[in-house]
Amino acid sequence: MRRLIQKELTLTAAPLTYVFLAFGGMTLIPGYPILVGGFFICLGIFYTFQFAREYNDALYTALLPVRKKDVVKARYLFVVCIQAAGVFICGLFTVLRMTALRNVAVYRANPLMNANPAFLAYLLVIMLLFNTIFLGGFYKTAYYYGKPFILFCVAAFIVVGLGETLYHIPGLAWLGTCEGAGLARQAVLLLAAAMVYAAGTLLSMKRSEQCFDKLDL
Amino acid sequence: MEQILCISDLCKRYPSFELRNVSFSVEKGSIMGFIGRNGAGKTTTLKSIMNLVHPHSGMIRFFGMKLADNEQEIKQRIGYAAGGINYYHRRRISEIIRVTRTFYSNWDDGACRHYLDSFSLEPEKRLAELSEGMKVKFNLTLALSHHAEFLILDEPTSGLDPVSREELLEVFLDLASQGVSILFSTHITSDLEKCADAITYMRKGEIIASRRREDFTERYRLAAVSGELTPVQRGLAQGIRRSREGQTALILREQEDKARQAGLTDITAADLETIMVHLEGGTL
Repeated sequence: MRRLIQKELTLTAAPLTYVFLAFGGMTLIPGYPILVGGFFICLGIFYTFQFAREYNDALYTALLPVRKKDVVKARYLFVVCIQAAGVFICGLFTVLRMTALRNVAVYRANPLMNANPAFLAYLLVIMLLFNTIFLGGFYKTAYYYGKPFILFCVAAFIVVGLGETLYHIPGLAWLGTCEGAGLARQAVLLLAAAMVYAAGTLLSMKRSEQCFDKLDL
Repeated sequence: MEQILCISDLCKRYPSFELRNVSFSVEKGSIMGFIGRNGAGKTTTLKSIMNLVHPHSGMIRFFGMKLADNEQEIKQRIGYAAGGINYYHRRRISEIIRVTRTFYSNWDDGACRHYLDSFSLEPEKRLAELSEGMKVKFNLTLALSHHAEFLILDEPTSGLDPVSREELLEVFLDLASQGVSILFSTHITSDLEKCADAITYMRKGEIIASRRREDFTERYRLAAVSGELTPVQRGLAQGIRRSREGQTALILREQEDKARQAGLTDITAADLETIMVHLEGGTL
């Protein structure tokens, strides 16, 4: 498994996948729907799937002395690694906005979503949608990625819309706060999102392993 | 003699094509030519052998082990190369080797360097910069660097010029002399005249024959036909072809005397290509 992940990171990964991690920096943009940064990180991962198909990676990997299930597992772990790096980058900038930059005027008068634990929870939901809708759809054929990616885009932008809307609803204002008791509720939300992300990704991976195992390459 | 590969009753169904009860075996140190026209089912059979497609039924054994239960161990001991199939074509040879070597427990860097030198492959070149023949040689380098005991080659000489083909055939003969077994699919039968020990002939998803090359070609004779074929001559013919010089009929060697009595003349030995085109061509 370690060798397969190394292969994913060094041979299969599209350089843009790593470059697009920089979109985590969008967390610092004031007056901007910062969840879009999470979408761009997933878009970067999508380039690896394009790259891998163009490079006939499925055939190369299938000829190696590895189990077909491990091929899928390695790709999922690669995706999780990139997403974890993305969440880490966004998390760092979130902490920066909530501490050293908390009194900066553009952030105090921010008309759109604030960078806070709830933002990170939404980010994990977008990434889970990528893992279930895109990865799960892709591994039904291990070839066609257009439809699953479009479906993911639609779902991701619905989450972006919800993220920008929900904290305006009375009773859900705590989702938009960066201080006080709302933060504790946001922390619980983040923890729940992390658990759902882990469980959902694992389920999607198991289903994709089964699909890929049955495929004729 | 030790069997490296044994396939029995392999079946695979597609909507418009079917592999039916494919059975044959490859012996250690031999080169088996796997012939048949385009679409006969050679590639599907080879992909089934490599577990790239899933047969509906049948048994595949390598080195006496079931493929289904020992895929990883078996793939450590075999190599696969296909003409016209590329992967990681924008990557450098050295990059692909650096990753591939980690998957094989008996990877031999010395052997890798030896074959890179022997095949004049420059590690810093990208695969896209290689000719088709050099790509096959690169795949062979990967296979031989982990001391593959059995090579499965799917049309490795397709699209190569005669000189490159000849060079590759010499490589195959060298490898066979070192004990490496080779299963070599092609529709260029003249290549097999030069190097194959055995022939497996596939037609419309079925194995028509699998035997030593001499036994296979000795089974047939080619006869010239003067004028129109009589019903008796037509009955004896396994296949009839027309050329500028006239018609020729493929007959079974055991029916040579009957063929002479029926008026077929100039009966000679038949080569692989002649046998294949007559059998595939049917009767005019």
